[in-house]
Amino acid sequence: MATVEERVKAITAQKLGVDDIKLEDSFTADLGAESVDSIELVAMFEEEFGIEMDEDAALAVQTVGDAITFIANVCKEQGVEIEQ
Amino acid sequence: MRLILIDSLRENRSNFYPLVLGRPIWELRCGISSLADKLVAKINPDEIAYFVPDYMAAYYKTQVEKPVNDVTTLAGDDLLLLDPSVKAVDFDVAATGPSEIGINEQGQVLYARISEKDVDGLKAADIEQFVASAKASLPNVKCRLSCWEYTWDLVLANAEEVTSEFAALGQHGLEGDVEEPLAIRGSKKDIYVAPGARIHPMVTLDAEHGPIYVNEGAEIHPFSRVEGPCYIGKNSLLLGAKCREGNSIGDFCRVGGEVEESIIHGYSNKYHDGFLGHSYVGEWVNLGALTTNSDLKNDYSNVSVMLDGRRSVDTGSTKVGSLIGDHAKTSIGTLLNTGSYVGAMALVMATGKPLPKHIPSFGWFIEGNVTKGFGKGRLYETAKTAMSRRGCQWSERTEAMWDAVFEITSPVRKAAIKKGRRRLSM
Repeated sequence: MATVEERVKAITAQKLGVDDIKLEDSFTADLGAESVDSIELVAMFEEEFGIEMDEDAALAVQTVGDAITFIANVCKEQGVEIEQ
Repeated sequence: MRLILIDSLRENRSNFYPLVLGRPIWELRCGISSLADKLVAKINPDEIAYFVPDYMAAYYKTQVEKPVNDVTTLAGDDLLLLDPSVKAVDFDVAATGPSEIGINEQGQVLYARISEKDVDGLKAADIEQFVASAKASLPNVKCRLSCWEYTWDLVLANAEEVTSEFAALGQHGLEGDVEEPLAIRGSKKDIYVAPGARIHPMVTLDAEHGPIYVNEGAEIHPFSRVEGPCYIGKNSLLLGAKCREGNSIGDFCRVGGEVEESIIHGYSNKYHDGFLGHSYVGEWVNLGALTTNSDLKNDYSNVSVMLDGRRSVDTGSTKVGSLIGDHAKTSIGTLLNTGSYVGAMALVMATGKPLPKHIPSFGWFIEGNVTKGFGKGRLYETAKTAMSRRGCQWSERTEAMWDAVFEITSPVRKAAIKKGRRRLSM
């Protein structure tokens, strides 16, 4: 199974059409995500990991690294198995 | 005699979704007045009391001065309990007389006339128990009262209702501020412009096929054409609108573009061009520029509507537009399919194609999919801003009611969001 980091980066690349994603990249400032993209990314992460995220908390996440941590925590809370 | 309106005796309120998610059925409008106004005018009770779903009771108490969900109103007088979907015009039951429970062919209670002497013998812990107790212990009679079954019934009856209510009011004449040139077609007797209303130059009022009622403070800007039957509510603005026949526009609305045979509640905006036809629009709705709805299918077959997001209901009519819930917002260029359902608090972004026929309440329709978007908190912030711009307040009770609506509508919304997620991941 791919790690959370690999899966988050793959979805981000697919949605935003960017390569070479770094953990410190900001979704908006560095990767060019518009607000609509952010909403869709949240939906895609939920589908990918089979989780439900609080929209306010999810949309407050700024960087790819923070998203990985946030998603890993939600997976843990909701009993979803992941590869760290 | 005390009239008790109960929403609803027939438990059919979802037939009127999304419009009754934030109001009782009797607050729906048809013609010049609400269903409650019509029933009260017909029955002429000494007093009135209301029973609404529990989740909206606290809010509704702030909207009316009469008792709401107060079981003490179920005693001390002759009572007439009534389902608000009963059509006032056809209600031919004497308001007072021996106790009787009016039952339709499906065994549903449409009214309960209970004389004061019989009230004490009934159980009245809550309204449901009271009605069940009355049905079990008092004489039941079969009745064939006609009822409003769905929201589109109101839309389809609107033109006729404006005409009959205009005649009943008996008002006519240009009492407002009318600037020349004004073109009037038909008889001036079929036009009433109330004091304080303003008609700018270059306006056409065409009452040839039905009356036109322009209420106090309304303003009609140049190059608007208003065809009767039509009712324009207090302090509403028509902005160069092509206002075709059969419209009822509530108070404090802003309406432009082409509108036909539609009912719009107060404080809603359709400022710009775009067509709205055979539609029912709630309060605090904003339809972005060029938002257009279809109200007729290309093959002229009956229009169907998906009220619950799953099953289609055949309206039996070839002309039905959109049902748009309170606080819904559409982006510029939104195209609504024939018989569309746009839920309360829904936020819709155009896709360039006609939208799916059911957008759930609180759904954010973005890039062709229903999503959670930024959540209900952000929708509430927008609603607060819109209301404060018109001097209205979003209260804790308002929010508590919409929180309840959020929960009630959750299953349908979650199913749509799940479908959207799958599509996004493909």
